[in-house]
Amino acid sequence: MKKILLCLALFLLSPQWAEAQEDASRYLDSIEKKYAQLKDYTAEVAVHFDIETFKAPDMQARLYYKAPGKMKVESKRVFFFPRDGGYLNPSQFKKEAFEVRFLERSADDGRKAVKLKLTPKKTKRDIQDFVLTIDTDRLLIREMEMTQFDGREIKVAIEYGKFYDFELPVHIQLKLDIPSFESEGVKEFDQLIQKPKRVTGTIEITYSNYKVNLGLSDEFFKESGSSRGR
Amino acid sequence: MKLFWFEIFKAFSRWRTYISFTVIALIVILTEVVMKLSAGEIVYRMLKPFQRDFLISGNILNAWFVTAFIMNSLHIHIPFLITLVAGDMVSSEATSGTIRFLLIRPPSRGRIITAKYLTALFYTGGLVLFFAGVCVIFGLPLFGSGDLIIHHYGKFDIAFIPESEIPLRILLAFIAAIWSMTVVASIAFLFSTLAENSIGPIIGTMAVVIVFLVLGNLPLDFFRTLKPYLFTTYMNLWQQFLSIPIPWPEIGRSAIILGLHNVSLFLIAFFVFRRKDIKS
Repeated sequence: MKKILLCLALFLLSPQWAEAQEDASRYLDSIEKKYAQLKDYTAEVAVHFDIETFKAPDMQARLYYKAPGKMKVESKRVFFFPRDGGYLNPSQFKKEAFEVRFLERSADDGRKAVKLKLTPKKTKRDIQDFVLTIDTDRLLIREMEMTQFDGREIKVAIEYGKFYDFELPVHIQLKLDIPSFESEGVKEFDQLIQKPKRVTGTIEITYSNYKVNLGLSDEFFKESGSSRGR
Repeated sequence: MKLFWFEIFKAFSRWRTYISFTVIALIVILTEVVMKLSAGEIVYRMLKPFQRDFLISGNILNAWFVTAFIMNSLHIHIPFLITLVAGDMVSSEATSGTIRFLLIRPPSRGRIITAKYLTALFYTGGLVLFFAGVCVIFGLPLFGSGDLIIHHYGKFDIAFIPESEIPLRILLAFIAAIWSMTVVASIAFLFSTLAENSIGPIIGTMAVVIVFLVLGNLPLDFFRTLKPYLFTTYMNLWQQFLSIPIPWPEIGRSAIILGLHNVSLFLIAFFVFRRKDIKS
């Protein structure tokens, strides 16, 4: 028994393991530092839905972001924009807010990447955990997988382009796999006897016409008549 | 044709005919004012399944949404208003004792019953168009225009109709609603030819509509097999015009089935009226 415990202790305290855990947090820090000079940005967004139960034409809007984490969309028409993973928020993954675990290293298409698992220390909007794939050469979040307590799963793939001095998303693809029924409230008899169905589909977001560091005021994000992120 | 206009004049000379128009105007205006006052709550409840995953902006609670919402809420209640007049078309002649005078005049029984039936259909069409007019005329200044979001409550299911397509779709939806309601008018009209007073046809028609609706919505296999044979299954024909894409084959099938109901019910009424004994 003592031998097993000794082996376990040696394994846990091994330099590789310790280094990996240190690395894990360092990547989040590096990404935050990389975008430290990005105070705000605006861009035109075009959203395309490919979800069987979400029959909507392509939608356009202007998206406004201000660090750390203020977001707003403006559109003359009705506009639906994915709340999680639909836009770049460099302040989203502060290392202090998550338990960070190193999962693996990978090299897809010659790009070195690491996979980290982030578990929020304080549960926010039912998000159970994030799995991030970070391009370690360019310090970019390439992929993101979000799992929520009610079984919602969202996978995000991000492609970047260079705008001014920043690498910002040009295309984001979200793959949704979520329960069809609302989890709360009164259900119809049919809903009670049926096995809840799941909704799957893809949302494609294309970004263009970026403008960076315009000095957007906080009041701008408080104005009504459009939707704001949290 | 003269007989038809004469029947129209008779129908619209009665106070009872205007009860339905007044009730509809009151309900629609009251609903729209309340919806305007509690807009936030309505949008929140409607979009609750989506707000967790999406940021939503734009004028969702617009006149078209309100029109579709009221139409959806009232399509079970409007039949009652239709029966008030359609169920009274023939039986009122018996109640007031004018049926003998009517039938000893030169126009044939066939022409008289046809004119009365067309009047019942005219009233049905007028009532639904009035309903549409009140919804849109009061709705547009109160809520404005915009894209129409059709959402199935409690489900992650949405149909987004662009603003440019809405007027035509709403017009077609109301025409389809008229077509559905003519079946209710035909049932009430048939009962009216069978009865000597107006209460029987009104209650009888509503009983048929309610029983068929209940049977058609019970989630049991036996009733599911029965559903295709109930005319109420096809009465939500108007909702199909707010689907994406518009299911034309389904609409055509429903319209034909409802049309066949109308023809059958009228023919029965026609023969009953032709053989009606007015001597006793």
